[in-house]
Amino acid sequence: MPQVKIIAKNFMDMVAALPALKLDKLYDNTFICEAVLRSLPPLAKKYVLQLLYIDEPVTAKSMEDWVLTDGVSKHRVAIDRLIQLRVFLEITDRKKETSYRLNPKFQGNLQHYIAHGGVLPRESMSSSITVRLPTAEELDSYALEQWESFLLQLISSSQPEKTTSFSSSMMKIFQQGLLSLRDKEAPKLTESGFQFLLMDTNAQLWYIIREYIINSEVRGVDSADLISFLLELSFHVTGQAYNASTLNEIQRSAINDLAELGLIKLQQGRKDNWFIPTKLATNLSVSLSDSSSRKQGFVVVETNFRLYAYSTSKLHCEILRLFARVEYQLPNLIVGAITKESLYTAFENGITSEQIISFLQQNAHPRVCDRAAPSVPENVTDQIRLWESDLNRVEVTPANFYDEFPSKDVFEGACDYARDNGGLLWEDSKRMRLVVKAEIHTLMRDYLHRQK
Amino acid sequence: MSVLKKSKKNNKRIIVWKLLSYCFFKYLREHLSVISGPVTVMDSAPSKQYSDDVSLVMVLLDTNPFFWGGENTTTKVSFSNFLNHVISFLNSVLLLNQLNQVVVIATGYNSCDYIFDSSTSESLNVSSGNGKMPALCSKMLQKLEEFVIRDEQLSKENSPSGIVSSLLSGSLSLALCYIQKVSRSGRLHPNPRILCLQGSPDGPEQYVAVMNAIFSAQRSMVPIDSCIVGVQHSAFLQQASYITGGVYLKPPQLDGLFQYLSTVFATDLHSRSFLQLPKPVGVDFRASCFCHKSTIDMGYICSVCLSIFCKQHKKCSTCGSVFGQANPEVKLPTDRKRKTIDLNAAYN
Amino acid sequence: MNYFTNNHVEERRVAEEKEDEEDEEGNENDMEAWERAYAEDRSWESLQEDESGLLRPIDNDGVQHAQYRRRLRNLSAASAASRIQKGLIRYLYIVIDLSRAASERDFKPSRMAVVAKHVEAFIREFFDQNPLSHIGLVTIKDGVAQCLTDLGGSPDSHIKALMGQLSCSGDSSLQNALDLVEGYLCGIPSYGHREVLLLYSALTTCDPGDVMETIKKCKRSKIRCSVIGLSAEVFVCKHLCQETGGSYTIALNEFHFKDLLLEHAPPPPAIAEFAVGNLIKMGFPQRAAEGVVSICSCHKEAKVGGGYICPRCKARVCELPTECRICGLTLVSSPHLARSYHHLFPITPFEELSLALLNSSRHKLQKTCFGCQQSLVPSGNRPGLRVACPKCKQHFCLDCDIYIHESLHNCPGCESLRHSKTVNNIE
Repeated sequence: MPQVKIIAKNFMDMVAALPALKLDKLYDNTFICEAVLRSLPPLAKKYVLQLLYIDEPVTAKSMEDWVLTDGVSKHRVAIDRLIQLRVFLEITDRKKETSYRLNPKFQGNLQHYIAHGGVLPRESMSSSITVRLPTAEELDSYALEQWESFLLQLISSSQPEKTTSFSSSMMKIFQQGLLSLRDKEAPKLTESGFQFLLMDTNAQLWYIIREYIINSEVRGVDSADLISFLLELSFHVTGQAYNASTLNEIQRSAINDLAELGLIKLQQGRKDNWFIPTKLATNLSVSLSDSSSRKQGFVVVETNFRLYAYSTSKLHCEILRLFARVEYQLPNLIVGAITKESLYTAFENGITSEQIISFLQQNAHPRVCDRAAPSVPENVTDQIRLWESDLNRVEVTPANFYDEFPSKDVFEGACDYARDNGGLLWEDSKRMRLVVKAEIHTLMRDYLHRQK
Repeated sequence: MSVLKKSKKNNKRIIVWKLLSYCFFKYLREHLSVISGPVTVMDSAPSKQYSDDVSLVMVLLDTNPFFWGGENTTTKVSFSNFLNHVISFLNSVLLLNQLNQVVVIATGYNSCDYIFDSSTSESLNVSSGNGKMPALCSKMLQKLEEFVIRDEQLSKENSPSGIVSSLLSGSLSLALCYIQKVSRSGRLHPNPRILCLQGSPDGPEQYVAVMNAIFSAQRSMVPIDSCIVGVQHSAFLQQASYITGGVYLKPPQLDGLFQYLSTVFATDLHSRSFLQLPKPVGVDFRASCFCHKSTIDMGYICSVCLSIFCKQHKKCSTCGSVFGQANPEVKLPTDRKRKTIDLNAAYN
Repeated sequence: MNYFTNNHVEERRVAEEKEDEEDEEGNENDMEAWERAYAEDRSWESLQEDESGLLRPIDNDGVQHAQYRRRLRNLSAASAASRIQKGLIRYLYIVIDLSRAASERDFKPSRMAVVAKHVEAFIREFFDQNPLSHIGLVTIKDGVAQCLTDLGGSPDSHIKALMGQLSCSGDSSLQNALDLVEGYLCGIPSYGHREVLLLYSALTTCDPGDVMETIKKCKRSKIRCSVIGLSAEVFVCKHLCQETGGSYTIALNEFHFKDLLLEHAPPPPAIAEFAVGNLIKMGFPQRAAEGVVSICSCHKEAKVGGGYICPRCKARVCELPTECRICGLTLVSSPHLARSYHHLFPITPFEELSLALLNSSRHKLQKTCFGCQQSLVPSGNRPGLRVACPKCKQHFCLDCDIYIHESLHNCPGCESLRHSKTVNNIE
């Protein structure tokens, strides 16, 4: 069962994990090269550009001269990444000196790009055929709506407002790990499910896309094809219409799924079908790089446990409802309070205090972050932790109970033995009873046998 | 202009680069291993920007016809060749990050104007109609051609004598206005920087205006990079890069210009704190005098308005104050104990 | 309670302009009202609900108002000074009243803290605008004036000294402070402008002798004294300012105080009788290349790295500005001087284009701002106001107008035209 990975750039790790042959095949496509380049750390990008017109291998030593002493660690990260993605090929010569050169396919594609500029993957359709295209705002809100309804459906499959075309088996795969699906029981959000909700949109998107790609092999689709199509898609122009007939079989089946996620909008004309990529799609290659396009925070927590969330999103409201009491809602403002009761329900659902705190901190409104004080007041974070530890006042340890010792000596010997092994939990020397942790039960038994 | 039409064939240049980049590369390696010590890099901390390496590059392109059409063509590249390098550079900046933005401003002899902006939708949607020409290239060259023709028409037929500078102050001012617009447009905006590709000599009459622009750039933390493609060094740009924390470079071999541009000037502001970049080979801090507009290294300063003169005058031509008895070497501080005037030490 | 007798005219003009102002809701103030809440009290009052129930900030007059006022000042300054003479070499003593009155809490957190905060900003701004000038700090405490820092040009040393001395007690004494400062300012060169800026919290002065005599003495020494009061108008301060040619203003609140203080940063008009003009010989050294080894004349030892070379005797010095050890030439860096040149060549204020004109001849007008390429065509909530440079006739948006006049000090239009006089319209 796949575990939820919090880090968005894992998608590139996935690309890196592809076998060398497949990876080289991917680099046939200019767009893949471009996307891979853009996903690299800044320093690595620089190196690629610097070596773009150098055909000879460059020794690792001379590359180290390029950086200042402060940048050595960054340099190493960059080089590792480049080798991992087979952008740099490592060559070791007779003197055991390492040198690097660019992957020739990658190099060729990028040289072409530099000389000829970026070309679009396919021609957009002329406006005479596509009568009315949605405006940028319409498209954005469409994408957001699709994505949120998908998410809502994902987390609360019990009350679907709008069913998607994803087969229930597909949905189940997405839900795996996010929801605990037990028969006859309403599905509950697991810890990783909550973490999933905490991620920003791009990261969530990648999680889903990643599952989608992994799952593709089962459906008999080559994952490399799917990856290259997705990356290619991100180079289309937002809001332009592209003819669906230019797609191949695999791609055509994929776009229906992608439309459900809000990546593209499908429209039908008299003769042709076309698809319009939304911002989510064109941001795919952006989100590959780690820190870019982080979402704006929106939550303000006050010391009196009141919580103000400047958001119009229903999803945000749902997330806040998981651990706070929502008091009232204006169109762009959600006001709530963090109460003991609301937190207890959250804890019961397996959400930890740390997750809640990190959610509040990560989504703190930028104005709150700018202040020197912690973004969530300390008394609030402390109280959330205290309430959690309140619940866990009784600690359950599996243990064994021993009594009816034949003599005081045996009893005390047993006590000492248990203590030495770090397993003694309780002793009553008057009535010669003791409780020992279950894990050393066998040791205890052996010991007591020896005593006999 | 015929030069422009030639540039449309972007053949052969890759071969040239391959040959030259290796030479350059060796040069750079030797060059860099000599120098040590910290680089002056501006702190670009503001958190309201995208990730660290998203850049907005304002390229100021010198299109002065008197420079490109001058006689000393043996020492430098032709304009078409130069454009090839620059367009490749623009492509590579756009390649590095999807959010990168490039704006090109032409610095002419009589005027300055925007000729390319990668953020406007029209520049993106151009379908490469004829197939041969890259979209960026065609759009930009077309506007450049219009600009050069218009620029030419503005100059009355009297060919100027003496120094023929281009209007650096104008294009710097335009670039700064544009950067202001970008930085007030929203919370997330790319890291701006200016790159001057300058060939013509400095125009001393622009001294005050250029300095004003430099200080404004310094205040808004915009580094000004300069790449000199002309014969002489530019004192203006040396000061500009020094004051704003940009990089000043006069490539010794202009045939490999692209390699210089991509190695040095494509570096985003964030990476500059980790990379070895060319150090200034000295900064020309000479000023222009107000009376003859000539560059001087010693002169007289009016105590009322700080105007600079190359000779003694009875009366200040700027502020009109009449000078008392000429007292050529007044010590600024009366207090003799203090030998150094710690004026503005922090602003240096 | 009209403290604005001197600013009366300006106030009225502002009031008139405000009506025009209301049309132009600046885009730069799109900060949410509650975001500003941490800075100002009663922020909830500046919220309003729009027709769809969204909370929106009421148009924030304050910020625009201040911007506009600064613009107005530029306007009047430019029109008044047909011949630009500014006292650019200034010797300014800032006298800070740290008597008991400075601990009053009508400014938050206290008058003293507010004064210290804004003096810091002022010192930095002052050196930015007056490159060859000097500042000294004096405090009044327990009826005694004490010199905190000597006249000097390093902003950081002043600020450090000030921050270390923040406590207040006792009475205030105007006479003691003036006597002390007058003593210091007597010795400066004749071409320097002598100024005192008092930040006065108290309503009284406790003097050892006749303060009027001291005021006369200041007048004789050509010291221009200005006062910014933090409580209410005091006759003796007003008299001092009138006699010595300074300005007297009273701060209404913190923002007003900041504005009043920063008004003292630009150089004042030079008054011929106050300072004698002089030509000073100076050198503009070049900076040597990085990594060059040379013997430094100030430390008498070999140094690596960029130093400055005296143009007359070619000796190397480490820092600017200084005096050459070998030949005695005053060495300054020319950028230092250039920082003040925008005072000498101010750009003409742009003319606002009336909407009537825009409507009548829309087809001929520029579509975008010449500076930043922003669209000037009116659309939706943007009224498309524009200004034009009277010289080059290019049109600019309001944001560029402010930027050009307050920071850039160049008109991009005029700078982009070699023959700006012969060409009336580039189109």
